[in-house]
Amino acid sequence: MRIEDVRICILYIEGTNCEEESYWCFKRLGAKPEKVHLKQLIGMDTYDNEKRDLLDYDIVMIPGGFSSGDYVRAGAILGARVKSSLEAELVKFGKEGRPMLGICNGFQVLVEIGLLPSFDGFMSPVPQAVLATNDSARFECRPSLLKHENRGNCVFTRKLPRGDVIVNPVAHAEGKFVFPKDREEEMLKKMEELDMIVFRYVDPEGEYAGYFWNPNGSLDNIAGMCNSEGNIFGMMPHPERVFYGYQHPDWTREKSREEGDGRVIFESVLDYVTKKF
Amino acid sequence: MRNLFHKKDLPFELFEVDILSATDEELQKVSDEAGLALNTDEMQRIQAYFKSEGRNPTDVELQSLGQAWSEHCCYKSSKVFLKEYLVSIESDDVIDRGDAGVVEFDEDHAYAIRIESHNHPSAVEPYGGAATGIGGIIRDVLCMGAQPIALIDPLHFGPLDLRYRDLPRGVKHPRYLMGGVVAGIRDYGNRLGIPTVSGAVLFDEGYIGNCIINVGCVGIAKKKNLARNRVKTESDVFILVGGRTGRDGIHGVTFASVELTEDMEEEWRGGAVQLGDPILKEPLIHACLEVAERGLLNGMKDLGGGGLSCVVGEMALAGGFGAEVDLEKVPLKEEGLASWEVWVSESQERMMLAVDPENVDKVLHIFKLYDVLATPIGKVIKDKIVRVKYQGEVVLELDLDFLTAGPEYCRPFVTEFEPMKEKETALDEPEDYERVILGVLSSQNVSSKEWVIRQYDHEIRASTILKPLQGRIGLACHGDAAVMKPLEHSNRSLAITTATTPQYTAINPYLGGMSVMDEMCRNLVAVGGRPHSFSNCLNFGNPEKPDRLGAFRETVRGIGEMASELGLPVPSGNVSFYNETSFAPVKPTPVILGIGIVEDFMRCVTSDFKKEGSLIYLIGETKKEMGGSEYYRLRSAFSPAVPAVDVNVLKKSMNAVLSSIDDGLVRACHDISHGGLAVAISEMCLGGNMGATADLSAIGGLRFDYKLFSESNTRWLMEVDPEHEKDMLSKFDGLSAHRIGEVSGNSVSFSDDGMRIELSLEDVRKAWTNTLYELMGGMA
Repeated sequence: MRIEDVRICILYIEGTNCEEESYWCFKRLGAKPEKVHLKQLIGMDTYDNEKRDLLDYDIVMIPGGFSSGDYVRAGAILGARVKSSLEAELVKFGKEGRPMLGICNGFQVLVEIGLLPSFDGFMSPVPQAVLATNDSARFECRPSLLKHENRGNCVFTRKLPRGDVIVNPVAHAEGKFVFPKDREEEMLKKMEELDMIVFRYVDPEGEYAGYFWNPNGSLDNIAGMCNSEGNIFGMMPHPERVFYGYQHPDWTREKSREEGDGRVIFESVLDYVTKKF
Repeated sequence: MRNLFHKKDLPFELFEVDILSATDEELQKVSDEAGLALNTDEMQRIQAYFKSEGRNPTDVELQSLGQAWSEHCCYKSSKVFLKEYLVSIESDDVIDRGDAGVVEFDEDHAYAIRIESHNHPSAVEPYGGAATGIGGIIRDVLCMGAQPIALIDPLHFGPLDLRYRDLPRGVKHPRYLMGGVVAGIRDYGNRLGIPTVSGAVLFDEGYIGNCIINVGCVGIAKKKNLARNRVKTESDVFILVGGRTGRDGIHGVTFASVELTEDMEEEWRGGAVQLGDPILKEPLIHACLEVAERGLLNGMKDLGGGGLSCVVGEMALAGGFGAEVDLEKVPLKEEGLASWEVWVSESQERMMLAVDPENVDKVLHIFKLYDVLATPIGKVIKDKIVRVKYQGEVVLELDLDFLTAGPEYCRPFVTEFEPMKEKETALDEPEDYERVILGVLSSQNVSSKEWVIRQYDHEIRASTILKPLQGRIGLACHGDAAVMKPLEHSNRSLAITTATTPQYTAINPYLGGMSVMDEMCRNLVAVGGRPHSFSNCLNFGNPEKPDRLGAFRETVRGIGEMASELGLPVPSGNVSFYNETSFAPVKPTPVILGIGIVEDFMRCVTSDFKKEGSLIYLIGETKKEMGGSEYYRLRSAFSPAVPAVDVNVLKKSMNAVLSSIDDGLVRACHDISHGGLAVAISEMCLGGNMGATADLSAIGGLRFDYKLFSESNTRWLMEVDPEHEKDMLSKFDGLSAHRIGEVSGNSVSFSDDGMRIELSLEDVRKAWTNTLYELMGGMA
């Protein structure tokens, strides 16, 4: 399909707050993003011309923010609302290979829904991991360095060479990816085998490091991951905030760079969709 | 004494207050008992009004007057000075002076700005007080029809290392206050998705009893979507949108219009501080902007101080009409509120819309989709009165002209201040310069504010082009101003900064007022922004005391004269008086939120050194003006000589620096302020992770320590490529521009007539980085 026909559903509810900049990332590349309130998909409190069908879209994105205040646990409420009202559509959407992206709070939502990671079937009935409170116990807004470690499975990073390090800012209080302690090793191994690990936090030398290069204390420095099929992807850092070079924190040191490091995520998935469908 | 409150025979609680027969003493008692914070003169005016009406007021009416005539709402002690020095500055660029000021950005767009205080609530309940401060300032910008794009938070606390035994009774420790305030701003601002891009954190003994918490907001709007804070036609419907109304925030404005006392906490904790709900505010912003975008609004105003009692009357009067409200339609948080409580409650997250009857259903639908309550509660009436009914009974009926004609005072003031007459301390030159420099760098006022800054999301919305911390990734240092690019298809941007100068104002208010303007201009110019407008928040003590009011007047005069000379309008502002406790007033604290226009953000520069071998230029004259300086404070010295300003030199210097930046001749630029030259160079080194050598002998006639630590105004440091030196210098004809060194090596060194100090970059970084982390906890 042509890029101008690719429809992206940018899902939001109260407290979602990165929808605007996410919208523009797709728009600038020539695709057709739309900000869609969850109630438009469910058909609640809406006129007919406001109702939307999830399956009319080619990509779903859950942007960052504090959906429903992140009370209870980050992403838990939106996760429960999506799962209870849209589970069938979501499974169909994903099983057809259509891509789903969750950034920051969106990643937390995908984890809560049981889509990331899922080892038994497409969607786990209960979450397999959790994005826990940062080790610093504080909200952390800072640049992070991400090393691309995916071997080609993830459709959101295929245009980014393996081993490349990119700059993406983080801004969260709950981004520490952890498994239950007793299954940690086994699950990590599976993730490696199934090529589910996409980004790891590194320092400027490209080495794994402690705080603050790993801003939250994430297990094995995991910053972003995909499902075993590679079409569902979540990451804590914000690629939509570094679409252009001038959005980088140190751009005044090197004014010539035009493209920002986050752009490749959006380019990759659009390239995948236009070729596959 | 007689009981003057007589309950009326009605199914709900309503009192008639017998003031017609009251003595002066009884009038004052009514004011005190009802928490009106009005004085006897004011009560007499009210008595006279009701005498002419031939009846007694209800408790609702008295409460309404108490709100409308509070210092907080009607600026009764400050108006005379604001009119004389600030409001009179005209500019074609100012579009509206409503709850926020609206100023032209480009042909089709305008920006909105406002800064205000949330001092008293934050001193009592830091988390909630600061959070609702953010909530309120965002509504001020939103009600102009503007999308909030940036938050600004200048904060002032007592020293974090204050010993507990030195803490006065009934006062909270600065560490507790700062922790709560930062968390409140963080949790509210981050949840809303509005980046916090600028601020300041100052520590001084003067803030122990009464912290100064100011909150500012900047928004952007299409001109066609701008809203006015008024009703438009005789048939307008009032729609109350957002949160429910409860007992939180009762008497917030009257609380803010008296001094804080030891037991105030107990007295007010029950209700004077509101409760914020960012997750209600977030969709409220969307819905309000959508009705503005779709042209469904006739007017909009936020509910802040005084709640419904202020918003209804003010909107109606501004449109030239009156209003009638059915109080029982107001959605409540809990049952059993008295009608006066509903009328004056300052519950958060509420806005009032004035809507054409034919658009009401469309508006209600939009709010429903966002799950935000919207309720028609009243209508415009032709007569200029405000009438409030509850269960069919009229509980309030007042002439709008009387209700909104709050008193205006010209209270007595003095303009001679004790500190100006005191002698300068004779201070020995330090023996160990290295230790002194590291001491200044690690002081609470100068050291890294990263502990605060990184808890705020400063780049959500992805339009923060220059961030508050600038330089190499992982090594960034303080910048002078943030730059926001608010429009997708334009490089035109807004430079945003904060300035605050209590340290000088406490000694010489007039020069303190001038200095705060100089600092604002320096900051904006340092990134390449041309100063365009500003909003101010003036935090002072009890205006009924002549020295406090005199300090206020002189500060306003200093700010006003500068603004007038520079042609900078003040489209909005805020005055906060009564910032004192029984043991001390706060330092008089003028705070400025400054806006600069950047034609093309690609020309912006940051404060971090970029390249080995660059030349370092000092712009401006360094004088022995040590009054209020961080250096003197750390050495417990005093000087009455605070930095002065020559506004003509400032104008010329600004033009020269801006022109150099515009022509691409400047690699880095940093203003010289707190801690002086020594700190400014060190910060530029830290951000770039590069050393520098500075020879200060070119600055003649001053002792080495004064050269290093003077905080003289109108100074910048610029990093310049040797190739561009000549072009740059040609712009500074007739101005002071000294080449003092170059960017090189791994250490920061200063020399002067045979003396030489050298500090390794590593030591400088260690001194500068850790102070707040050590005092507030957490990992650096």
